[in-house]
Order: sequence, then structure tokens, then C-alpha cells
Amino acid sequence: MTDIVITGMGIISALGHGVEATAEALLHHRSGIGKMRFLKTKHADHPAGEVPFSDEQLRDILNISNDFAITRTSLLGRIALKEAAEMATLNEESDARIAFISGTTVGGMEKSEQFYRDFLENDDRNEYIALHDCGACTDMIAKEFAGNISMQTTISTACSSAANAVILGADLLRTNRADIVIAGGTECLSKFHLDGFNTLMILDSEPCKPFDKARKGLNLGEGAAYIVMESRAHAEQRGAKAICQLSGCANRCDAFHQTASSPEGEGAYQAMMAALRDAGLQPADIDYVNAHGTGTPNNDESEGRAMMRVFGNQMPMVSSTKAYTGHPTSAAGGVENVISILTLTRNFVPANLNFTEKIDSLNFTPVTETKTGVQLNHVLTNSFGFGGNDSSCIFSKIK
Amino acid sequence: MSIYIQSASQISFQQPLCEKWLDEPILPIQSFNQPMEPDYKQFIAPAESRRMGKLLKRAVATALDTLAKGGCEMPDAIISGTGLGCVENTEKFLNAVIDNEEECLPPTPFMQSTHNTISSQISLKLQCHGYNSTYSHRGTSFDSALLDAVMQLQLGRVNTALVGGYDEMTPAYFKMLGKLGYWRDGDVSIDELKKDGIPGAISGGASVSALLGNKNTQNALCQLVDTEIFSCNSVEKLQNKLHSFLNRCQSETAEIDAVMCGLSGDKANDDVYRDLLCKEFPTIPTLWYKHLFGESFCASGYGIYCASHLLNAGKVPDLLIYNGKFEKFVVNNILIINHFQNNDFSLTLLTKCHN
Repeated sequence: MTDIVITGMGIISALGHGVEATAEALLHHRSGIGKMRFLKTKHADHPAGEVPFSDEQLRDILNISNDFAITRTSLLGRIALKEAAEMATLNEESDARIAFISGTTVGGMEKSEQFYRDFLENDDRNEYIALHDCGACTDMIAKEFAGNISMQTTISTACSSAANAVILGADLLRTNRADIVIAGGTECLSKFHLDGFNTLMILDSEPCKPFDKARKGLNLGEGAAYIVMESRAHAEQRGAKAICQLSGCANRCDAFHQTASSPEGEGAYQAMMAALRDAGLQPADIDYVNAHGTGTPNNDESEGRAMMRVFGNQMPMVSSTKAYTGHPTSAAGGVENVISILTLTRNFVPANLNFTEKIDSLNFTPVTETKTGVQLNHVLTNSFGFGGNDSSCIFSKIK
Repeated sequence: MSIYIQSASQISFQQPLCEKWLDEPILPIQSFNQPMEPDYKQFIAPAESRRMGKLLKRAVATALDTLAKGGCEMPDAIISGTGLGCVENTEKFLNAVIDNEEECLPPTPFMQSTHNTISSQISLKLQCHGYNSTYSHRGTSFDSALLDAVMQLQLGRVNTALVGGYDEMTPAYFKMLGKLGYWRDGDVSIDELKKDGIPGAISGGASVSALLGNKNTQNALCQLVDTEIFSCNSVEKLQNKLHSFLNRCQSETAEIDAVMCGLSGDKANDDVYRDLLCKEFPTIPTLWYKHLFGESFCASGYGIYCASHLLNAGKVPDLLIYNGKFEKFVVNNILIINHFQNNDFSLTLLTKCHN
């Protein structure tokens, strides 16, 4: 089987812009969750992991003028793509087949919800009609890297979109349909999904408490993150530095409920087991699990039980980083892939913030103090979405 | 390993869940076309049906019909494409957010608005825990799902995969896309759609699915040699891509009996096909399908669906021929070409089953 290595990554989230800002925040227990400054909503009292830049500031980072029509989701995506491509030293003249796979669900909704009446009643905002759908968002991001994207597509499996982008990317490499894959996801906050999650009563009005007995719900977040994947042979041949390996990944379906997870976490269990098989690893090989851990009563118990089924009494270190970033929905898998790669390569495990008491039915507690200087060889990260779309990825140190 | 299309079904403005369009096609009379709804009772219980949006009902019925025709109770993977997701529910929730100023909102339209609702509902219906994914990439949403399914089969992870393309066109979305020049004004007759240089296509929803498998079952419609999606911005590059694709399929342009294209009547869409066909396939008949199934982000699914059934039926109705003549009445290989806005392309080669 093709050895897949990671040669670049880029991220923007509530923790700031870039891989270094992300690592710094995690190492120093600095959460990005707070009061929303940029999304204009009646429910601004709900804390969220908002990217700390206005649209104008994001445009400045990219040198995009104010009269060019682009959505916030695409701005975030472009920034993350740029960092990932630079780190991987992808140059625009190369004739390598580069696939760009991006996950999103909100797409251009954040602009559509502002301009929807204009769309229907006048011609003031027509340029944003074509930017509404998910694919348009990917297309606008790919243009940041003009000329040499050999294929692009968009995955929309709600909160596991970015993880599924990585899984598709791995298969494109394994079937020799691409030489390099840039995979991840992007999502910005919108009233549409903030209000939607609110109607489902799964938002916490305080900072979220993943895996805590008294957890009340999630805090939404936003951001974008991509990793650059290629075969080990391809990376060596072009002299790109391999950061770590993607040793396995898998996608399974919970097939339980449109928006809730099954009590025993069947989909999650099957996804983790299949990812382990794909990696040729045993549960005991996993040193750290970066959990989906949204902080909703349903997810954390279901995911915890699934982990107990996988790991039994030998639970690896576990933490959710949602209390740092909020839940960036479609981008979550991307953000947490980057975080998992950081923990693996810098040998630390970020604390699961806001935890005080264990969930009764679970046999483990998450890591509550950031651990540094720990030797990690294999890190598993979970991304679960509405519709029971459950996916797991395993990153490993270079063999 | 060979891949077969074991069954394929559709709901559209043709007779639903059957291939009557082969003999009794329904011609569109306007740009805005709504699908002909089948009797859903055989697929979905009435109580359940009331809670489901129109697109979701169509998708579930099309998927279940495809599985039944393919003799498959449980596919190993469910992979869907949808350019816009469940628009009707999205609009309901969006209008409520705006009208009610974010207060007292109904949860159900939100729950059923996400793009993966469709794959999820099919998995729920079947209790299928296998690989499950959803692509939302404009005019290559279905094509992306098809490629994923082909890779799952090629990597030996699954024996069967249900692939679908599902989109709905609401009056509001029709109006919005109309502002961008998507639709034809006035006459939508076949002759008029074939005329060069006129902008706009006719709309249709999409609910089309196919069961892919690695076994040549008795009822298999055809074999799928390979499929590919790529980005491309010039005809020269497109020609290179075409040659390398056919090369990989161990096929040559001379062996192609017909080219099935996403020709829609919209000049901006059709020029690319005309240019390529003229350069690469000057003597090979061109087939089209969007005049019978309409344009939508997942319309390309009907290209695969039609070509599969043509190969199985061993005949091509005149109404599907865009231009050219069949010298011999044998159709062994159909190349399917699709593109979206001259940027995202797909190529698929289907061949007759060799028993």
C-alpha cells in the first residue's frame, strides 16, 4: 500500500492565523472562545470560536480588494490553503497532478442570509448568487492557487466533511489519480446554522465542557485548515520534507438518527476500528485520541462509549480541543488534523479545558493539564457529523 | 477487476422509475420543469412521508428502486452528489430566520437542510453502516460520487456501491439562477434548443441513481471501464486529457460508437462540446439527454443512466441523437463527457457487458 506523508499544513481558526499561533495557544491553555464580534446575530450571547479577524482584515491578509465578491468561507479557505502550499513548497510551475478536496456545508450562506431578499427582489447582489453553493466556495479557494489544480471537488458531510476530504485524498493517491492532494475544509459562522443548532437546543450558553458530566452543549466555531498529502516516494523525489504519515483513515455510518448519535456509538466504533485496520495498527498502538468531543450530552457519551469498545481498559490519552476552537463544523476535521499533527510532531497533548467531573457511564477522564515532552507515535482523531457520518484518521511519526 | 452498472433508475419529468422515455419521451414545453412524482407508498410509509421534503422522498424512492432492480438488499457504500442539498428546507429555514428575526424557528427544516441528509436517510432506511459520503461540487457533484464509488471498488473495499445525484429546483432558486442567465426564454422545442448561439437551458430536478458492483450479474446494464474528473481551461488540454483517459482505458477514439454529452442548448455550455467533438469525433454520433431531463447540478447522472440503458437495450432512439448517424446498429462503447462552466470536467467510458 502507498505510504502517504504530510508535507504541509495551513490553518486559521479562533486560535488565530497559522500553525504557530495554533500551537502557541494550545500550549498555553489559551481558548479562542468568547463573545462574537463580527457575526451580526440576535444570539450573540452564545459564546463562539470566531476567527479574530473581520472580512476586511481577511481580505488584507490576502491582498483582495473590497469590491471583489468573495464569501468569508472562501477567504478563510484561501488563507489556510496558502500556508499549506507554502509549507509544502508547492510551486505553480510544477507539472504534478494536484487535487484540491475541500469540505464545507455552510458555503456562501453567511452572505446569502444577508442578501437573500436582494437576490429575489433586485439586482444589487447578483454576484453573490453564484457564490452561494458549496462547490463555488471550493472553486473560489482553488483560484488562490491558479494554474495547476488538476482536479477539485467538494465534500459536504456536515461536521465530518474535512475528514472525508482527507479520506478521498488518500484514495486518490492510492489509485494513482493524483500526485499531491490538498485536503481539509472551511466554514464560517452564519446565523443560519447558529440558529439551527440553537433550535436543536445543543448550544451551551457558556464555554463548552467536553466530556464533563455537567456539559450542556457545544459552542460553534469557524475556520479553515488543509493538509498537503503525497506518497512518500513523490515527496522524496521532489525533495519535500515529510512532517508525518497518514497511516490510516476510514468512514462509516451510524445509521441511527438524522441529528443524534446512537447510545453505543456504533458508527464511531466502526470508523475507529476500520481506520486502525487501514493503518495496520492495534488499539494499544494509539497514544492519543483527539476526540470529536463537542460538549453536547449526546455526542460525548456516545463517542466515549465507542472509545471504550475500541480501547477497553487501555484508554490512551484523550482530549477534545473544541473548548479552544469551538466547533468549526465542516472545518473541524481539518482543524483537528492540524492539531493532531502538531501534538504528534511536537510531543505534547493539549488539555481538555473546562473539565471537572467524569461522565458516569465512561471509564476514563480526559487529559486536564497540557502534557509536554510525551512521546507520541500514533494519534487518532475523530470527526462525526449529522446524518451519522463518522470518520477517523490516524497520523503517525515517520517510520 | 471489472465494474458493472447493475441497475439504474430515475425520477424526472419523464415517467418515473422506468425507461418509458426510450419509446414515449415527454418533451418539455417550458423552462421550469417539475418532476413527475411516483406513488411513494411502496417505498415510504405515509406517516414518514409527511415528515420528508420532496427531494428526500424522490431520492429515497429512486435509491430503493435501483437497489430492488439490481437485486441488492444492502449496498456496501452509499455515495451521493447534490449541488444544492435540500433547497426547499433550506429556503424554509432561511425565510424563517429572516422573517422571525431568529426567534421561534422550526427545527425540522434545519435538520433536513444539510446536504448529507439524503445519503443519511438512505442509510437509515437500510440500516447501512458502510461507507457513506456526499459530494456538493456544482455540475460535477454526481461525477465526484461516481469516481469515489469506482475507487472504493478498485481498492477492493466494497463489492457494491449505490451512487446517486439529487437536486431540486424551487421557484425561488429558479428565479435566482435565471438572473445569472441559466434558463431559456420562450420556445424550448428540440429544434430551438439545438440552434447554435442562444443562451439558456431548460431546468429539471435530479433524482437518479445507479448500483455499481464488481460482479457481472444477469441483469447488469453495462460495464464501467473507468471515470475521471479534472479541471481544465483549454480545448488543447482537454484533448490531452481525453487521449490519456482513453489510453488508460486501452481504448481509442475510433472504437467509440457514440459520445454522450451534457449539451443543454445553452451556448456557453455547448460551445466546449461542439469544439471538442468537431476536433476529436467528427464522424461519431453525438447523443444528448438534457433536453429530456433538464439542466441541474446533478444532471450528469442522467447521462450515465441513459447510456447504461442504451447499452443494455442495444438501441438508440432518434430523439437522443444530437447529430450524426449510426452506420451500424451496434453500440458497444459510449464515452460520456460532462463539464461545468468549462472548468470542471468528467469523462466516463461505458461498454456493453460481455457475457
